[in-house]
Amino acid sequence: MRALIAATAGLAVALALVLTITAMGSPAGSTSPKPMLTTVPAHP
Amino acid sequence: MRRKASLILLAFAVFFTALSPLLRWYAFPRLAKIPAGQYQDMVLEAKDATLLDYDTMKARKVPKVTIVQTLRGNVEASEKIERTAGRDVVVWDSLSYVQGPDGKMVSKLPERYIFDAHSQEPVHATGESVDGDPVTRQGIEFKWPFQTEKRDYEYFDAQTRTSAPIHYKGTRTFRGVKVYYFEQTIPWTKVKFPKIMPVEGITPESVAKTGTTRWYTTVRKFWVEPVTGAPVYAEEIHKEELRGGTLLGDRDKVTAFAGHVKMREDYIEYTVDLVESNRTLVLLMTSYLPWGFLALGAGLLSLSLCLEARSRRPGDPEPAQITEPEPVGA
Repeated sequence: MRALIAATAGLAVALALVLTITAMGSPAGSTSPKPMLTTVPAHP
Repeated sequence: MRRKASLILLAFAVFFTALSPLLRWYAFPRLAKIPAGQYQDMVLEAKDATLLDYDTMKARKVPKVTIVQTLRGNVEASEKIERTAGRDVVVWDSLSYVQGPDGKMVSKLPERYIFDAHSQEPVHATGESVDGDPVTRQGIEFKWPFQTEKRDYEYFDAQTRTSAPIHYKGTRTFRGVKVYYFEQTIPWTKVKFPKIMPVEGITPESVAKTGTTRWYTTVRKFWVEPVTGAPVYAEEIHKEELRGGTLLGDRDKVTAFAGHVKMREDYIEYTVDLVESNRTLVLLMTSYLPWGFLALGAGLLSLSLCLEARSRRPGDPEPAQITEPEPVGA
């Protein structure tokens, strides 16, 4: 019984961790102020 | 004590074992995305190309034609579309600016490409366009999806505004990177004149009145790193002709552009480095961490079972009984 509780706890923490990280997602950022190029850049 | 430790190890074993598939199949599709605000430029060159001289209306050899391609993620537009699309969307505004050897503009082609941030599937929304014309893309453009497969994909051609298969032609090594090689041939097709022509005063409408039409063919080649789906190198054998009409006099056709377009060397090096670092990040989520967690989970489970078995060994001495001290007799 105690083994089952320990396994369930491990599973629950894993699920909670993954759900939290994915819910947070990645930051959207912002549109770059750099222009669309109409000249040849010297380097990348 | 051993039983308590084995239970803690068991909890950790289940934690890491569960984390392995969750990371690969749940977290990866939700976290691995093209950043909405990405900005990238690329320079391609066609050396010893043929270019139409609009003053004489004759094709001439030129030492170099340069194509500057810019991709800029439009975050505001993507957030607006996400509200109705219900998924993470990337909006790329792009510009392919072609420059002749004298530095003058040969053509420019603006596009708006809207796609799913993870799967790369096109998302159809207001604003999706090529040179100001609304389009409905099928398939991919510029980039392949994460975990690119060894199969043909539909690839959107901006000149014809249509999609056609781009064929998987085998696995190769490009500058030490394992890549999938893809090739697409667009046969001679009548295409629209660009909205902005290289000569002042000439418009697509004025050219159309002369009866002259624009035709195009290309062989498009991509070397794609399959984990990230990012092309590390690209080439295009591109030909354009003007055909018929009074603009050409007594000629049937004239070459407007012909050249073998290749990525500039410094951009190849930059792209290979960038793709290699992104590849490591993707592999971390799809391979390194899931397999590592699985191995760790298996190890912890073995340790837990071992401790449990030792705690139940029959030969082990019984715990000492705590006995009450007997009262000292008088």
